[in-house]
Amino acid sequence: MATTKVPEVRDITRIERIGAHSHIRGLGLDDALEPRQVSQGMVGQLASRRAAGVILEMIKDGHIAGRAVLIAGQPGTGKTAIAMGIAQSLGLDTPFTALAGSEIFSLEMSKTEALSQAFRKAIGVRIKEETEIIEGEVVEIQIDRPATGTGSKVGKLTLKTTEMETIYDLGNKMIDSLSKEKVQAGDVITIDKATGKISKLGRSFTRARDYDAMGAQTQFVQCPEGELQKRKEVVHTVSLHEIDVINSRTQGFLALFSGDTGEIKSEVREQINAKVCEWREEGKAEIIPGVLFIDEVHMLDMECFSFLNRALESDLSPVLIMATNRGITRIRGTNYQSPHGIPIDLLDRLLIIATSPYTEKETKQILKIRCEEEDVELSEEAHTVLTRIGMETSLRYAIQLISTAGLVCRKRKGTEVQVEDIKRVYSLFLDEARSSQYMKEYQDSFLFNETQSAAMDTS
Amino acid sequence: MAVHSWIDVLKLSKKTALVHDGKRKIHYLLTDGRELAEEYDLKTDELIVRKWRHKSPLGGQSSWQVEVGETLDFTASFDSDGIKESSSNPVFMRKDTKSSFQWRIRNLPYPKDVFSVSVVPSDRCVIIKTSNKKYYKKFSIPDLDRSQLPLDGSALSFTHANNTLIVSYKKPKEILSLEQELLKELKKLKGTAEGDVDCKTQ
Repeated sequence: MATTKVPEVRDITRIERIGAHSHIRGLGLDDALEPRQVSQGMVGQLASRRAAGVILEMIKDGHIAGRAVLIAGQPGTGKTAIAMGIAQSLGLDTPFTALAGSEIFSLEMSKTEALSQAFRKAIGVRIKEETEIIEGEVVEIQIDRPATGTGSKVGKLTLKTTEMETIYDLGNKMIDSLSKEKVQAGDVITIDKATGKISKLGRSFTRARDYDAMGAQTQFVQCPEGELQKRKEVVHTVSLHEIDVINSRTQGFLALFSGDTGEIKSEVREQINAKVCEWREEGKAEIIPGVLFIDEVHMLDMECFSFLNRALESDLSPVLIMATNRGITRIRGTNYQSPHGIPIDLLDRLLIIATSPYTEKETKQILKIRCEEEDVELSEEAHTVLTRIGMETSLRYAIQLISTAGLVCRKRKGTEVQVEDIKRVYSLFLDEARSSQYMKEYQDSFLFNETQSAAMDTS
Repeated sequence: MAVHSWIDVLKLSKKTALVHDGKRKIHYLLTDGRELAEEYDLKTDELIVRKWRHKSPLGGQSSWQVEVGETLDFTASFDSDGIKESSSNPVFMRKDTKSSFQWRIRNLPYPKDVFSVSVVPSDRCVIIKTSNKKYYKKFSIPDLDRSQLPLDGSALSFTHANNTLIVSYKKPKEILSLEQELLKELKKLKGTAEGDVDCKTQ
């Protein structure tokens, strides 16, 4: 008998994955900008964190435009972590744009265009706009899923105020976001009609029962009055780039077909700059300079660097943070050598923060934080062994071993990672140094061996 | 004085007229950048459609906002992803007659004594309420606002038949004379009979 397999319907609630820097929650400074040894996921690097804190204050102030900071240091010393820490402590309202140096090289867009777009993404404009919102208490929410598990869902949402009641038809996206927000009957919600953004205001008082189990953060609110649909003035932050895009689109019905915007004309940008300055003088808008973070900045070439020189002079430019792990090296696009692969004239404009290699104690602490983040329990000896590995090979390699060792441990039905598990993954996966060693020993038996070595000789 | 200022605004605007499909269609481009489109019946000179469009502060163009006539909601078919009112809900539209402003709300299957319609002069609006808490609507009369005329509760009346609530407000004589004057002005505009007209909308 053939049983048709019904695919399991899984709603995307919130997928949280663990990234390389997801343990960073801030810079870990106290009010006097003094760094704490271990705080908010940050360990050690006291001097550079303090420096980053000063920069952070400058960004929050928002008066200084076009400053640039370079974070330089060896691989795996927390350069990206510091940048992420700055981003986290800035909060949601300040734009933070991160890109890697190699991202700007594209066939569809010139390098300088990609850089100017990145610059303009990092400048926010807070502006009042009137939008239509629906505000009401959920009476009923009904979602019909097709029996096969695939295909589009249809739904109905009944909302009410103290005066009226309306039924709404729901599309797929709206159903997804409603189930993501876990909206149920009795909740008071607002829906932004233009963007479809849902926010829960709380639960209605009329639904409050004495014996209901409620989270501590559940708020009770009154059922809204009057009409369901209202026009409200909301303040929101848009980036200069978004304003550029709105104004550069082909008007009329052609706008439906033009998906990507490509390059934006400089006249459009100038017009918008003038308009934004006008708004600011009239008090209609507020400019929030944000942060542009360029990782692996040595990947930029000479043209980009000279563009940066010029772009930093504009009073509408964000604070630029760059990171590099190179020493004295060739500037891309030239034959000149320069520190960090950055021309001297640009280096002259930079404040440079240096990071230094972690000590054994700090490495141990970082590994502990990562274990918590990745939900792996480590025995004391295993921890010491892993720290040794981290010191002798690299911190990144040691971090890689955490979750792999965790898996090995789980397969043998253990609860705590022992030294054996670490040993096992250490033998399974080579680190960089052992891999190079292996290469040297068995170079002759690899493919393209002869051509490779010839090329090596000439360089 | 105030009555005249509105008609002066219209007179100063750039007008394009077009006679098509038994309707006289007029497009105004006001001096402040707003666009106004009106359609009149050729035989009876009744206003069929009046809609507005303005530039959003960020520079994008908003969709047409219908003041009089039926809302043609063809955009809804493009994004079925979002949220829209179910077709079983009451539909609110304005449809004027010669002598009064009139609003029709369809899909209201409740008896007449449920409804109450009143004028709130302080907010300059009319409120429709239902005692069974199913429908509530607060709306202003833009014609009166533009001419800065007061709202009068005695001019308001309503009837209910065939699941439709009809609210009427008798036009004051200032509005009637203004409309006469405007109509005379519009008839002087010679419109292209057929086909596309290039109007400066951008």
